[in-house]
Amino acid sequence: MGTAPVLTAPFAFTTFHVAEENTMALVALRNVTKTYPASERGGSPVVAIDDVSLEVEAGDVFGIIGYSGAGKSTLVRLVNALEPATSGSIEVDGREITTMPERELRGIRLGIGMIFQQFNLFNSKTVWANIAYPLTVAGASKAEIAARVAELLEFVGLADKAKNYPDQLSGGQKQRVGIARALATSPRLLLADEATSALDPETTQEVLELLKRVNREFGVTIIVITHEMDVIQSIATKVAVMDGGRVIEHGAVFDVFSNPQNPSSRRFVSTVVKGIPSPAELAVLRERHEGRIVTISFRDGDASQAAVFVALATAGVEFELVYGGINDIQGRAFGHLTLAIRGTDAAIDTVLAEISSRVDVTEVA
Amino acid sequence: MDRLFELQGEFWVAAVETLYMVALTLLIGGLVGLALGTVLYTTRPGSLLSNRVVYNIVNVIINFFRPIPFIIFIAAVQPLSRLVIGTGIGNDALVFALSIAASFAIARIVEQNLLTVSPGVIEAARSMGAGPLRILRTVVLPEALGPLILGYTFVLVAIVDMTAVAGLIGGGGLGNFAQVYGYRQFEPVITWAAVLLIVIFVQGVQFLGNWLARKVLRR
Ligand SMILES: Nc1ncnc2c1ncn2[C@@H]1O[C@H](COP(=O)(O)OP(=O)(O)OP(=O)(O)O)[C@@H](O)[C@H]1O
Ligand SMILES: [Mg+2]
Repeated sequence: MGTAPVLTAPFAFTTFHVAEENTMALVALRNVTKTYPASERGGSPVVAIDDVSLEVEAGDVFGIIGYSGAGKSTLVRLVNALEPATSGSIEVDGREITTMPERELRGIRLGIGMIFQQFNLFNSKTVWANIAYPLTVAGASKAEIAARVAELLEFVGLADKAKNYPDQLSGGQKQRVGIARALATSPRLLLADEATSALDPETTQEVLELLKRVNREFGVTIIVITHEMDVIQSIATKVAVMDGGRVIEHGAVFDVFSNPQNPSSRRFVSTVVKGIPSPAELAVLRERHEGRIVTISFRDGDASQAAVFVALATAGVEFELVYGGINDIQGRAFGHLTLAIRGTDAAIDTVLAEISSRVDVTEVA
Repeated sequence: MDRLFELQGEFWVAAVETLYMVALTLLIGGLVGLALGTVLYTTRPGSLLSNRVVYNIVNVIINFFRPIPFIIFIAAVQPLSRLVIGTGIGNDALVFALSIAASFAIARIVEQNLLTVSPGVIEAARSMGAGPLRILRTVVLPEALGPLILGYTFVLVAIVDMTAVAGLIGGGGLGNFAQVYGYRQFEPVITWAAVLLIVIFVQGVQFLGNWLARKVLRR
């Protein structure tokens, strides 16, 4: 499907000016708050976004994860100004959008693609017309539209479905139409709100692969919202964890996955990271093994496993590997190993102190 | 039966009069109703161009007029009819009153059908930079077209029903024909002939409406 060059070709509909590489975040939120007023029937106002500051750099696949109601959807809807912020500043490609008049915002939105959990395709329009729609809004000529829609259909592998209506497509096909439609105006930024949550695992992987290609081949920055950690694991380069309208942790995916700082992030991470025993599993381990039970966490590049094992072996204690797993996140490995260590308390304390200077050590039971 | 043959001329004139009243009402009431319903939809709180004042005014007017029985409504708007179209009696006066009544009924039907368009689809259009009027024209109305056609079909049948009382203000049509030549002259055959034609007409309209809606919905 080598259509890469054309997608960036003559369509200059985006209102972004060219940002200088690496000097500026594509999206920058500073102290952003969004409060929904109390409903008319009473109740109190809802603080959906609570003092969030965040930067998304050009080229990132930025994941936002959090439980239902955490404010994820609200956050992305602030980025393309579908919803006005209550306070704070939001810059998109260097332009402050919180003070922009609605007319100008439409231009901004034209330069930001968005895809949705429920696809939100126009059921009364064919696949072709769905993809053509944003181009019509952008004022493209008939010939431009025809050429652009054809190459997008080719890119998402649906050239044979041009004349079909959305209700004749599978979920995965619908989302591919959604992606083609969102890319029509060659945006630099794509917002994906639970884009795979309505799809089965296999189709989810297909759609995620497509999004990866969008990011790699066309350099489109993507903000991915999800409540599934494995979505983050498979495509995100950075991640922010949201809870109660706040970003409670953010950073490179590898860092957050291998060493989550916050209990809520830890819970998310434990759904996909191998090697951390659950409390129930710990109880079983406790029953089966004598001695002190310790989990050590390695990160690729931090310390050599060998040094840790040598220290353990020469400390005059006995140890057994009772639980563990090694994870690979975007080519970097980290692991959690749980050991049962037997010996005098003094000897064990000494060796734990020694290895904890090299790796993370937690005595778990 | 012989009597029906004698009245053949009047019968067909009455049929054409009914068609005339129905068609004209549908045209005027249909357009005004579409406009009013669209205004209701777009100005309702949280909608594309929400405007509490406009919404409340239109809403109250419709709620005020809708429950008035048509037979009383005709009498009530007679002075207005004289003022606007120069006469308070006859087929045109009926069309005048009926168009107003139909506008309000259609406004509600249009509003309700537009509300069935998923907010997500509208959000998608907004996210592509489309403005409210463009969204209304190119997304909301086309997405709701199927149910709208069924709604209009429903109204059309009701309009046929209401034209039957045209005789009350000196109008004609099949309803009047059945009253004057059938009911009052004890000629059930005449009455039933008019009934039959009305039934055929209504069935035809219903069939056409269903067919069109199915075609639009592709189901
Ligand atoms: N239009 C609205 N009016 C009032 N409150 C709202 C509105 N939209 C969202 N909220 C509230 O804001 C909070 C955050 O909602 P949001 O949809 O952003 O959460 P989310 O993280 O996307 O959840 P989910 O995973 O269920 O989609 C919730 O408490 C929600 O009830
Ligand atoms: Mg959401």
